[in-house]
Amino acid sequence: MLAKARVLRNEEIVPGCYYLQLEEWQIARGSLPGQFLHVRIVDNIAPFLRRPFSIAGAFPDSGRVDIIYRIVGKGTELLSRLGKGEYLDCLGPLGTPFSPARDIAVSVLLAGGVGIAPLLFLARILSGEGKKILVYYGASTSGELLPLKEFLPKKAEVFLATEDGSAGYRGLVTDLFESTLVAGTRRAEIFACGPKPMLKILAQKNRYWGYPMQLSLEERMACGIGACQGCAVKVRSEDDKTGYLRVCREGPVFDFQEVAW
Amino acid sequence: MANLEVNLGPLKLKNPVLAASGTFGFGEEYASFFELEKLGAVIVNSLTLKPKQGNPPPRIAETPAGMLNSIGLQNPGLEAFLEKDFPRLKSLNAAVIINIAGDTEDDYLTLARELSEINGILALELNLSCPNVKEGGIFFGNSVDVMSRLISKVRRACRLPLIVKLTPNVTDIVELAEAAESSGADILSLINTLKGMVIDVSKRSPLLGNITGGLSGPAVRPVAVRMVYEVYRSVKIPIIGMGGISNLDDALQFFLAGARAVAVGSANFIDPYTIPRLISDLQQFMESEGLHSIDEIVGAAQR
Repeated sequence: MLAKARVLRNEEIVPGCYYLQLEEWQIARGSLPGQFLHVRIVDNIAPFLRRPFSIAGAFPDSGRVDIIYRIVGKGTELLSRLGKGEYLDCLGPLGTPFSPARDIAVSVLLAGGVGIAPLLFLARILSGEGKKILVYYGASTSGELLPLKEFLPKKAEVFLATEDGSAGYRGLVTDLFESTLVAGTRRAEIFACGPKPMLKILAQKNRYWGYPMQLSLEERMACGIGACQGCAVKVRSEDDKTGYLRVCREGPVFDFQEVAW
Repeated sequence: MANLEVNLGPLKLKNPVLAASGTFGFGEEYASFFELEKLGAVIVNSLTLKPKQGNPPPRIAETPAGMLNSIGLQNPGLEAFLEKDFPRLKSLNAAVIINIAGDTEDDYLTLARELSEINGILALELNLSCPNVKEGGIFFGNSVDVMSRLISKVRRACRLPLIVKLTPNVTDIVELAEAAESSGADILSLINTLKGMVIDVSKRSPLLGNITGGLSGPAVRPVAVRMVYEVYRSVKIPIIGMGGISNLDDALQFFLAGARAVAVGSANFIDPYTIPRLISDLQQFMESEGLHSIDEIVGAAQR
């Protein structure tokens, strides 16, 4: 659906990273973790296209929908200027959500940078279902790490990694996760979102680890609803044929085995 | 009530606002926003004989007042289309125009012949102008001789009204338009996208997976309006104008330049309600101007 969502809050929480709270009841009621909003930032032609953002939280009882975004260009820069009480043109919720297994009690959420956004929403829902939540969260430096306490259920266990070692494990979050694996680890499933190289490494390593794993992908997008075929991701079917699926429609969440890197 | 019906030669439309090929999928996605039967017609994404994978990503690059795409005609192919997509589109009560593309003359002829046998197709639009595929499309649209031969053959192979979509990436579009008319085209679509590219400075490499793509959006509108204006003077067949249309004012420029219908493309991506809004704005405009038919203003800006 297309709606004008009222801005409740739009604040920089760590340098360059913003927390946007919107009020739009139908979107709040219809959203599932993994889905996204396709946002028209200005009412003119510059920038021309909408921008997709993962939903970081949706609260059906209060009509609130959250987005967390980093300023990466003109579009997000303009978005950061939007003030409380103003309205934002949102298309959504769009895309295929995460599909957690009913019978797996441990959920590993693995995020790089602002890729944490959809996993915060997922963590809240899974925790509500009584699942154990382990969050592995990496960034290049501690200044980029979001204050997760504000967003995560209390019971979630958080493991941090920074490339410069300024907080938590020194190195990549994928290595941190790997270092915690022990033979005969209990049954768990992994949900991951972050930069493409990180997801690629994860997918490769998980061929040996063998966890059920779902990845949330990103691609340059035009329509956001499946019509233009612009946001293609290369996939490999079981009979080893390759083809393209749409990040906006069949995705953004894909099984790790599906993606042809 | 003003009458929005319009005749494009053998093609009769309930109103002159169409969805442009390549921007509207096979209609399904937009049907959740409004009833497709409101549209003058849906020109579906290019259909090829065999399934086509399309180009490697990234396929989209934003540009000033527009965008580049390099989809590469990804589509399920004729057989799957007829089995799945076409029945669904018909069940949504859409007026359907099929855009066809091929790698060879035979591809076009087979598509035209087979689609001719199907009930419920209003017209065929020949894509002779896709800038994003190597073998086909543009190859047929760049040379007057090759194009004319293809159009005459398709004309003989098919009973449906024949629209020819021309490329703007030529020195003289009027020459092509005249050749298309004399080879048997019933209608012209003007224009396809303009070939362009964006370089990712941080990577020192082309941004699009296919290196180049087709430019669309408001940025191309003045080029498209000029081409409609020039072609209108030299052919008798009707023109469907397209290129950066997102509102009434944009559409009127095309009618006044000489288009008898318009198609909306990338504006659908920004606002899925663009076309139904344009249709109702056009209706209001005609009523307030006391127009009985859009024909009264077609080409009115010609000097």
